[in-house]
Amino acid sequence: MNAVEVQSLSKIFETKEGPLLRKVPKKVVAVDGISFSVPKGEIFGLLGPNGAGKTTTIKMLCTLITPTSGDAFINGNSLASDQQKVRESLGVMLTGERTLYWKLTGRENLEYFAALYHLDPLDARKRIDELLDLVGLKQHEHMLVENYSTGMRVRLSFAKAILNDAPVLLFDEPTASLDPQSSRLIRDTIRSLKKEGHAIILTTHNMEEADLLSDRVAIIDRGSIVALGSPSELKDKVKSSDVIEIEARNLSDRIVNALETFSEVSKIALATDPQSSEKGSLRIHAEKGKEVLPKVLEFLVRKQVSVTKVSFIEPTLEDVFISETGRSLRD
Amino acid sequence: MRTVSGYKATIGALTAIFWKGIRHYTRYPGSFVLILVMPFLFTLMIFGMGQFVGGSNASLNFAARTGTSNILVYEILGSAVWMIGWVVIEDVGVALRDEQMKGTLEQNFLAPVNRVTLLIGLSLTDIVITSAVFVVVVGVTIMITLPAAALSLLQAFVVLLIGLIPLFGIGFLFAGFVLRFKEPYVFTQILNLLFATLTGTYYPVSLLPYWVQFLSGALPQTYVIENMRRIVLANQTLVDIYGSMFVLLVLALAYPTFGYAVFKQLEKKASITGEFSKY
Repeated sequence: MNAVEVQSLSKIFETKEGPLLRKVPKKVVAVDGISFSVPKGEIFGLLGPNGAGKTTTIKMLCTLITPTSGDAFINGNSLASDQQKVRESLGVMLTGERTLYWKLTGRENLEYFAALYHLDPLDARKRIDELLDLVGLKQHEHMLVENYSTGMRVRLSFAKAILNDAPVLLFDEPTASLDPQSSRLIRDTIRSLKKEGHAIILTTHNMEEADLLSDRVAIIDRGSIVALGSPSELKDKVKSSDVIEIEARNLSDRIVNALETFSEVSKIALATDPQSSEKGSLRIHAEKGKEVLPKVLEFLVRKQVSVTKVSFIEPTLEDVFISETGRSLRD
Repeated sequence: MRTVSGYKATIGALTAIFWKGIRHYTRYPGSFVLILVMPFLFTLMIFGMGQFVGGSNASLNFAARTGTSNILVYEILGSAVWMIGWVVIEDVGVALRDEQMKGTLEQNFLAPVNRVTLLIGLSLTDIVITSAVFVVVVGVTIMITLPAAALSLLQAFVVLLIGLIPLFGIGFLFAGFVLRFKEPYVFTQILNLLFATLTGTYYPVSLLPYWVQFLSGALPQTYVIENMRRIVLANQTLVDIYGSMFVLLVLALAYPTFGYAVFKQLEKKASITGEFSKY
């Protein structure tokens, strides 16, 4: 039996948009009939850009959002008919710093949630000691969470998620906004949890993290799974093409559209730098990269694009995403 | 990892939620002051209105209409029950919204703790503290102004304790509305102020128009206030008021059942629209 079995899970949000008295009903498909399974001892990555449906999927799996159709089984318990048992089988870390009580100390937070998860008080005390040690907060256990740094809060949230030692763990962007040291600590712990036999679902928009941690990855876009397999299987799919990365200033969608018409270019995607709208990078997939590169560069110079760096790179999961959707993960 | 189940799990969760509330109280000490002065302020306001607006015959008129000349005890009993009712209804209703605003509602809903335990637990600290303060206020007032009725206090508090059960039911109802529609205080404050008018908080329900009395009869506070006054001021016992207590017991069963059913429906709706994480 798989620890997680997701069957045609969909979520359509019905909203109303427009000015008062003239609101128009609108349907937003957040998740569109996804299916996958996760056995015990596997890390399953859900990779996709913001708004792809990753968090909605996690929230459906942990009973916070009711699916529009489909079902999922967590440790053999149906979301549709046995939510209580589903909750007992899950440890969940959601994004955001405000998932803890800021006016309680780190230890008090864990004690509170241990009681809500019905942990035996003696076992809970030992477990809390272990976890505070594990996430490096033992020295700060009596400090109010409001005085913690962002990294400390995320580490405490992570400890809270694994407090009940549940067979299935859901981590929604567990290392977002973390410093490299804390990220490494969390990634190492996730690997140990996998070795202990936990089934782990991890959402991320960080392709390196998905590649590093996941045994299998589902690439999700606009609510659908567009590719599923081990990171190496997925990357093999795009290995037949060369991948050229061009970093430049003054790139625009018009330039990308023009480059798309080049017969040698099979896929192209533009990612703008979040720090500066002027800077960006083009990722070009082409069967014969060395032949097309001079043409592309000539075109860019003619369009007054200032190229700062050109490199041939090994395909990553980002390239799988580009190959499947024609867009960058950072779009 | 060993877990506990049944009553041990419920008591463990309620205790943890209660202490979490106490810790929040001690770390926001200002709210203690409010709880301590509220009963005195409300009673003084009503007492003053009666004395200064009612004129020279105020006390006589009061005695003729209420059957007692002890204005202070009569008013403080009504005031206490109304305020406890307000706290219970508002706290159960608003507790989830407070968690939502803090960002911790989803974390609570992720846990396998029973929803009723959560609903009661999240409001427990406020209710226990407020009730304790009111019990002391009522107790001390009666001991000083009506020492003969001191022994009957215990029976009066039994009435109050039973009266809290249907109030939790009304709280569940509000909790559902709040979860679904947000804006908690719109619901709770309008109705709590209306309850003061309908349930005989400061005057006998029998003076109200007949159709209003019909509405009053459906509200548990009406029976709690009336029965506590009958015990403390008219020397009656629980046996003497068994008819009214029976109605209160029926309401204690009906309100929580109905309130929780409505809450579950509205919670389901909120889960469909993804409301739990919305501010």
